Amino acid sequence: MASNSKANARAEKAAAERAAQAKREARRRFLTIGGVVLAMLLIVGGAIIASVVQNNKNNAKIADAASGRSDYGVTIGPDDAPHKVVIYEDFLCPFCGELEKRTRDDLARLAADGKVQVEYRPFDLLSQLGDYPIRAASAFSVVLEESGPKVAKEFHDLLFENQPSEQDPGSVTNDDLVDLAVEAGATEADVADAIRNVSNEDWVTEATAEAQKAGVTSTPTIVLDGDVFTDGRTIDDQAENLIAALD
Amino acid sequence: MNGTLAWVGLLARLVTGGVWLVAGALKITQPDASINAVRAYQLLPSSLAEAVGLALPGVEVVIGLALVLGVFTRGAAVLSALLFTAFIIGIASVWARGIEIDCGCFGGGGADPGASSAYPWEIARDAALLAASLLVVWVRRTRLALDSVLFEPRATGAAQGDGN
Repeated sequence: MASNSKANARAEKAAAERAAQAKREARRRFLTIGGVVLAMLLIVGGAIIASVVQNNKNNAKIADAASGRSDYGVTIGPDDAPHKVVIYEDFLCPFCGELEKRTRDDLARLAADGKVQVEYRPFDLLSQLGDYPIRAASAFSVVLEESGPKVAKEFHDLLFENQPSEQDPGSVTNDDLVDLAVEAGATEADVADAIRNVSNEDWVTEATAEAQKAGVTSTPTIVLDGDVFTDGRTIDDQAENLIAALD
Repeated sequence: MNGTLAWVGLLARLVTGGVWLVAGALKITQPDASINAVRAYQLLPSSLAEAVGLALPGVEVVIGLALVLGVFTRGAAVLSALLFTAFIIGIASVWARGIEIDCGCFGGGGADPGASSAYPWEIARDAALLAASLLVVWVRRTRLALDSVLFEPRATGAAQGDGN
């Protein structure tokens, strides 16, 4: 009898110890898992926060650059228009061509109605594919200088309508550029030599430096009233949403 | 046999985890490029593309760390397999739609003419990494995983009743 209760007490004590041990084990496990999860969340969260901050900073930089008038662009629409759109583009970039195709007529109409001021800022993003972006932007600036903004805008439109493919940027030659400039309304004698010699390459370099300084890393970059406009899944969606936002 | 598998599992962990670490680290400092890369797939609405572009590099680094160190190995491997599946679908989808973009796998991204010639190889690479991830999921216990240090119940204790 006595030895029996002694054995019981021993068994109880052992059970209690086992339970305490299990509890410690569970606690340790909980803390370890918690610690690892916390470390993971910190890495992901930290990276996201840092990225958002950097991204906002960059967007603010672009917005800031877009708030003034650039020396390296052509503008349509009145200064007192309720909306201002800045479009950074490369004459070779296919998405820019697509955006142009989808928005040109509407933007021209809205600008004529005084609803928006649009500034097109061409620069060189893609010259690693061929010198076309430099030749085209240089020709654009020659036309802008010699024949004024109206003809330059027309020339800009024609450049996108006759955009070469990225695979074969050389298919539009300097002679073709002269022809397009004349078609846009430039006097051949004024622009032909400068276009053929890519005389305004410096202008392109400066325009590109300005775009880079503004933090523009892709084309087309659309800035609507100070905010980088990215609303839309595809470039066509974006074009549609942009016009809808202005109309 | 099990021993060999555990070592193969370690190799799969290190290779896959290493790729994640490199891919994530290259992108983590360039949120803009990362967002552009996601956007270039033209699969996600813009705001979602931005969220994914911002979050993905951090997630990649964590998966990489988890796999290399062997912490939450199985969960990380499942996540890794899911992401590779998503990437394969993404690349196949741009390929099918005739969109030519840099996959943005290791930074970069955006339109890239002539990129479609790289698609088969990119898909093959991701498929191989997907297989490696699934292997880790299947093997469960791989060699030199921190999991076994962190979560193995302590063998000492109750049996000896160390009197503390």
